Amino acid sequence: MISLIRSEIYKISKQSKTLYALAAILIIEGFVIMSAYYQGAGIIDLLLDNLKDSFEFRGNLLNGNLIIYLILNSLWFHVPLILMIIISGFLTSEYKDKTIETVMLQPVNKLDFILSKYIVSIVFTLLIVLILAVSTFFISYWIFGYGDLVVYLDGLNFFKSDDAFYRLINAFLSGSITMIFFSVVSLTLAVILKDATKTWIVAAIFLICSNLLLKMDFNNDIVNELFFSKLTDSWQYFFYYEIPYSTIYFKNLLLLGYSIVVMIIGILIFKRRDIQ
Amino acid sequence: MILEARNINKSYGSLEVLKNVTIECHKGKIYGLIGANGAGKTTLFRILLGLIKQDTGTIEIDSEGIKPIGGIVEKPALYGYLSAYGNLKVFAQIQRLKLTKELFYQSMNQVGLSPERSDAVKNYSLGMKQRLGLAIALLNNPDCIVLDEPFSGLDPMGISALHELIKKLSRENQITIIISSHIVHELADLCDNLYVLNDGEIIKSGSANSLLKENVTTYKIVGKNLEISEVLKSTEVVYLKNAVFVSLKNSNISEVLQKMIEEGVEVTSCIPQTDFKALFGRERV
Amino acid sequence: MKRFYFLLVLLASLNSINSQEIDSDLIIIKQRMDSIKSYEAQIKLDVDISFINMPSKYGKVKYRQGESTKVTSQDFIMLPKRGLDLTLNELFQHPFITVDRGEDTHKGVNCKVINLIPTSSKSDFSIATIFMDTKAKRIVKSEISTKMEGVFTTSLDYNNIVDVLPTAIEVEFAVNSIKIPLRFLGKETEVDRKAIKEEGSKSGKIFLTLSEVQIAR
Repeated sequence: MISLIRSEIYKISKQSKTLYALAAILIIEGFVIMSAYYQGAGIIDLLLDNLKDSFEFRGNLLNGNLIIYLILNSLWFHVPLILMIIISGFLTSEYKDKTIETVMLQPVNKLDFILSKYIVSIVFTLLIVLILAVSTFFISYWIFGYGDLVVYLDGLNFFKSDDAFYRLINAFLSGSITMIFFSVVSLTLAVILKDATKTWIVAAIFLICSNLLLKMDFNNDIVNELFFSKLTDSWQYFFYYEIPYSTIYFKNLLLLGYSIVVMIIGILIFKRRDIQ
Repeated sequence: MILEARNINKSYGSLEVLKNVTIECHKGKIYGLIGANGAGKTTLFRILLGLIKQDTGTIEIDSEGIKPIGGIVEKPALYGYLSAYGNLKVFAQIQRLKLTKELFYQSMNQVGLSPERSDAVKNYSLGMKQRLGLAIALLNNPDCIVLDEPFSGLDPMGISALHELIKKLSRENQITIIISSHIVHELADLCDNLYVLNDGEIIKSGSANSLLKENVTTYKIVGKNLEISEVLKSTEVVYLKNAVFVSLKNSNISEVLQKMIEEGVEVTSCIPQTDFKALFGRERV
Repeated sequence: MKRFYFLLVLLASLNSINSQEIDSDLIIIKQRMDSIKSYEAQIKLDVDISFINMPSKYGKVKYRQGESTKVTSQDFIMLPKRGLDLTLNELFQHPFITVDRGEDTHKGVNCKVINLIPTSSKSDFSIATIFMDTKAKRIVKSEISTKMEGVFTTSLDYNNIVDVLPTAIEVEFAVNSIKIPLRFLGKETEVDRKAIKEEGSKSGKIFLTLSEVQIAR
């Protein structure tokens, strides 16, 4: 298994599309930072507009923490989309080039092979989120500095800089579980569909539907609590004034559970299917 | 016996692709699987290689090695963005084989490829890819190699070189090789035994020599002043420039050739022409 | 110089209102306040507004006579527009008259209540109600109706009877609910927005706690 994982990592590292994915994510991040900067002042104005009559403000709210928060808000569609394209490509390219046949002609267990694909996909996802987080923090703090974070969530929440940092870090950690879910889904779609274009289309539709369903109220507490699409924004809970840890743990564990189920479905389909 | 596939059946829906196919292969021999396009050769190979599962039937491979069987199905599928070294490294790694420099050089030399070439495999010719595919199939020293249409798309030089390579592997490494082709003469002087697959069934099998001989009814005779031969005129003959196609029903080719020489015809070659219709058909000639 | 102007203004206002006089207790308190040349203190700010969650903020408050009170902090802080003017400079900036409103108690202390009504259109408040602890010679509560920024009610607590500056100040004011751009709503807050709509204007409080007060007279 470890040798399979190592060979997968070697293949990914040698593929130019990996670099393209990284570049795409960093370019998007750059654009988001720019737009966050230009929108940030306006957003703060809007947030504090009604308070201006009663208050005077001291200190800068348009700081690195706000920019990171705005980036966090913006990235959860673009990044999963790119991740889903890249990760599904880990398998669809093997089908397209028929290298999966050459692999299966070696003394390799099908279960080990597909499991290693899932593991590498998860590792790749975490690596992308890590790169994203490090670059976001670095650029935002470097350019915009530190300061208190203001977030509108059940009211206006103000967080001190170090508290904001803690919350932002945890938001990235929690968000990475969402990313893992989408990555696992894309690989399972690749197992089912085999074809790259079909997988991309279905993965994009899945992502769009998930985002739409996230905002939809099902008028049913159980569905609202347990449906997968309602679990993909757990990272936002870190910006409630009192962090609802139990909710975050529950939602993230449930989403991990969904990811494992989706992974098992993919593994079973792959194992049962002939390679052709 | 190194490989035995018994009563293999495979259907896709209502389409029966393989019907009760049985083949037996011995160590160090070269077997040919011939049949028209769509006869079921690739499906049988995929089953032998474990890529797809047969509906019924058994496959037994008498091998204690890590890799009992290797092969190439259709075209060699390689990671185009990797070099030959990269490809061998990946395929060695997944079977827990460490690709040392020695092993790399040995593998490349074995198939007649230059180990010095470091560019991506996508730049390779089909013949070179076939060779690299073979080098990958040979990793971990399998006892049996299955090659599906290995000559397809190769130029005459490439075909000849691959012939030599296959013979060498069989002779020197005692590897059992099963090759499929729909072009009989590619297998004629390469294989020890032949299986003829028709519409999913093995309809003929036996030593390559005897099977081909049984299905030869026409000869191409090349020579000078062929038109003076009276013996040719008594046969079913088609004249070409400096050559004739002679179909014999009751006479022996040796007798015909002897009489032609006696008549003063200068015969330079006589090439038996396999009757594919007869070979791939159910009736014996 | 400023003090001189103040006296001029005070005299002018006294002249202009003829029989109406400035409350003598207020003048005493004001004079006592004016004895403070400058002060510095550590300040702790706590916000109590239903739709704002903010941790306690810490800073430094600095006052120098003739200048407005300055608060500095490493953090982002929200300061009430009224309430920090402990020396009542802003209130006395323009001419006014006082009207005696009798006595009342504030937090168990008997207070003299007066109204300050500005006589100049330049003044930014329309009326102010002042609760004076005449024994301790200090203001314990004020309600200032500003022309533009609503009503600010300031309640001042002192550590002991001789203190001229309070140690705890509570500023109450009306504040409108906020309008949030949808884009900024990371998490869907449909319900909250409805609630805000229904509630409309709300009252908010800011608690200022002074410590390590250093007064220079």
